[in-house]
Amino acid sequence: MARVDSFMAAGAPTPADGRHGGTAVMGGIAELVNGMNAFTTTGYGSSQYQQFVNLMTLVRVDGGLEARPYLAESWSVSPDGTELTFRIRQDVYWHDGERTDARDVAFTFLRATDPETAFPNPAYWDHYVAGPEGVEVVDDFTVTFRLEPHAEILDPWRAVGIMPEHLLADVPPSELASHPFGSVCPVGNGPFVFASHRPQESWTFEANPAFPGQLGGRPFLDRLVYRVIPDQTTLLTELLTGSIDMYLSLRPDQAATVVEDPDTRLETFDPREFTFIGWNTRRPQLADPRVRRAIAMSTDRDAVVQALLRGFGTVAETGVPPFHWAYDADLEGPAYDPEAAAALLDETEWRDRDGDGVRENASGAPLELTVIFNAGNQDRQTIAELMQAELRSLGISVTPEGLEPGELARRATDPSVRDFDGLILAWVHDFRVDEKDLFHSTRADQPLGFSGLRDPELDRLLDTLQLVVDRDQSRPLWHDYQRRIVDLQPWLYLFYAQKLTGVSRRLQGVEVDFRGEVVTVGDWRIQEAESR
Amino acid sequence: MRRYLLGRLLLAVPLLLALATLLFMLVELAPGDPADLLISPGMTNEVREQVRTNLGLDEPAPVRYLRWIAAAATGDLGFSHSRGVSVRVALAQSLPNTLLLTGVSLVLAFALGVGVGIVQAVRQSSWIDSVLNLFVLTFYSLPSFWLGVILILVFSYGAQSVWEWPIHFPASGATSVGYDLMGPGERIVDRVRHLILPVGTLVLVMGAGVARYARSALLEVIREDYVRAARARGLGRARVLFRHALPNALLPLITVFGLYLPVLFSGAVFVETVFAWPGMGRLMVDAVASRDFPLVLGGSLVFAVLVVVGNLVADLLYAWADPRVRYG
Repeated sequence: MARVDSFMAAGAPTPADGRHGGTAVMGGIAELVNGMNAFTTTGYGSSQYQQFVNLMTLVRVDGGLEARPYLAESWSVSPDGTELTFRIRQDVYWHDGERTDARDVAFTFLRATDPETAFPNPAYWDHYVAGPEGVEVVDDFTVTFRLEPHAEILDPWRAVGIMPEHLLADVPPSELASHPFGSVCPVGNGPFVFASHRPQESWTFEANPAFPGQLGGRPFLDRLVYRVIPDQTTLLTELLTGSIDMYLSLRPDQAATVVEDPDTRLETFDPREFTFIGWNTRRPQLADPRVRRAIAMSTDRDAVVQALLRGFGTVAETGVPPFHWAYDADLEGPAYDPEAAAALLDETEWRDRDGDGVRENASGAPLELTVIFNAGNQDRQTIAELMQAELRSLGISVTPEGLEPGELARRATDPSVRDFDGLILAWVHDFRVDEKDLFHSTRADQPLGFSGLRDPELDRLLDTLQLVVDRDQSRPLWHDYQRRIVDLQPWLYLFYAQKLTGVSRRLQGVEVDFRGEVVTVGDWRIQEAESR
Repeated sequence: MRRYLLGRLLLAVPLLLALATLLFMLVELAPGDPADLLISPGMTNEVREQVRTNLGLDEPAPVRYLRWIAAAATGDLGFSHSRGVSVRVALAQSLPNTLLLTGVSLVLAFALGVGVGIVQAVRQSSWIDSVLNLFVLTFYSLPSFWLGVILILVFSYGAQSVWEWPIHFPASGATSVGYDLMGPGERIVDRVRHLILPVGTLVLVMGAGVARYARSALLEVIREDYVRAARARGLGRARVLFRHALPNALLPLITVFGLYLPVLFSGAVFVETVFAWPGMGRLMVDAVASRDFPLVLGGSLVFAVLVVVGNLVADLLYAWADPRVRYG
């Protein structure tokens, strides 16, 4: 296998062109859990660093969600759509000097589809042929995957960082999750080389001088540091005092301070994450979609966006985010109208039969709902309490119940438990939106089938959507799907909260969008006079 | 004394064993496991079961307990899946930071508290006593996490960005970015600067409590006949205070020292969070959040050992401070 023997990342001199040099410090509340181990990571922060900083994915997506070459310089799909062949760049090296090649790509796929690895996002490979039959290393820089024709076939290769076969091939798949590679000794091939990790404190990366020029070459920064600062007041202070250059995910109530400070600026972008109340439609109170729609109509979601997010957000109608090509801009969700909601509820079997202010069904069971959320999350508690107040006038009794996160997850996702009526949660879809696990009747007994929804029309759409390759053909189906979701209201979609980022003015070249905060990290620059 | 010490150390063994067993049971009783926290697209029951198998959680609890306790007896506390290293290594990375923070805080809190208590007792009912009492009560009643935020706003943000004082302190972390590139002298200065605000928070809150105990203990002692007798014999004020009154007033403070250790470790959790101090408190919070059972157990066991050792030290200090107390 080829090596770059002269590879000296850490000691390479800084180019003296005035644009290079300096250290940018980012601050976030959470540790990069599992670090650079692409086989185990589900966290947003870790994924960002894997995809854009330390590792490389085969492709990246642009602002229009179109795939662009990255580690793969090109790709082709067989006419029948059953083979996907990637041509790998020949000028990318692991940071220990080994060349990245097709075997690394095949290794990543084989481990990710091996059940013993327990890869946390198995849906990526739903339509791929798993195991050795599904991949062929054609030559050192060509690899072919076998699959059934489906939509957005490149999406897994945008998300999963390629892992080094020469370092991890001997690790049993069942031990990959706990292997120290991720957080102790990562070896990547991306624009930044891992330098050090102080647990709970910081990650330090250094510029990779051998990063291919066609992909942007050596980053302008010498070093990129991620600091873990769990308290958001402290994070804001560190930004305002110049100790950090970027504060990730600041609170809406802190935005004004960042805007007013002459040395900082506020960057915002629409995220994929939305907050919702998931209904357990197995419960008799919530089995009738009219009840769920009436609840949505009596919830003032605009007011929630204003109160909780200070306007930094938009009301959500479905899980398809507004920036997505499949989004239906003409979709109308249930408008806030308490009177119409009461009228709609009157059409159902739920009426206040004993005059106590709470509706009952024909057998006398009251319309009472327990809405669970993770204790300590003040925003979600506020949402539950707002609903409690608003639904009381509709004749629905809501009991908010804050639960420890493990207990919340168990009650919601353990198919043998499912002990809740409503569940306040946030969800992030991949760029390939696939809600089969959430709403398809065949998945109702899987962990994510908490809605328990069984609707043949939705099943048909869910089955079809993932198989239509052409976006133009798929778009009308997606619009039908979103309308069906609005009709059925399996979840009460609340809002997409904008991601807010505080950035020091000395840090230039930062562009954030729905792909994340570090998409342009290779172009980040610090003015020479203000270099750390 | 040596026999007493040996006896206490031997007694600590069954105590720690019982504590370890209790901790294991408590962790077992806690709902959920790491697999439950995996909520991602495509997550199936099979994947969850595989995660449990990979983490060794598929075995019955008694088997896991016996395996864990046997390994722990040899110093092997298991593997931390959330940190990707052995529990021993994870603890070794965090424990020194917490010991530094709490150790310095403990010493300074007692020095400050006893000092303030002495002044208050000596100047009882004077304006000095009243002013100090106001401060003591204020700091005593303040939650440490709130005081920490205030100190950050004043001595970090305010001092640097608003009032532009010549001296200001870092708001977070144990070291600065670029610490590895510093010389030995710079490193020490950097460490001390990062210690000042978190230590200041703990010292003010804890020192206020110590001051209250010290004041009342000293007031009680200086009314004793032997102190009056010493004064009557014409001994100097300082000699009476430091030679006769203070040693006897120290006894209840030693009890406070023993009682403060668990409070200190738990209080440090909040301070470590506010100041992003990479210590045991945050380690434990993260371990609980990620259901990293071996790390929770290992960390709790270390806290238990520290408290047992701390109380043993308090007992020995008793014997040192009061010649009438003899063990053995």
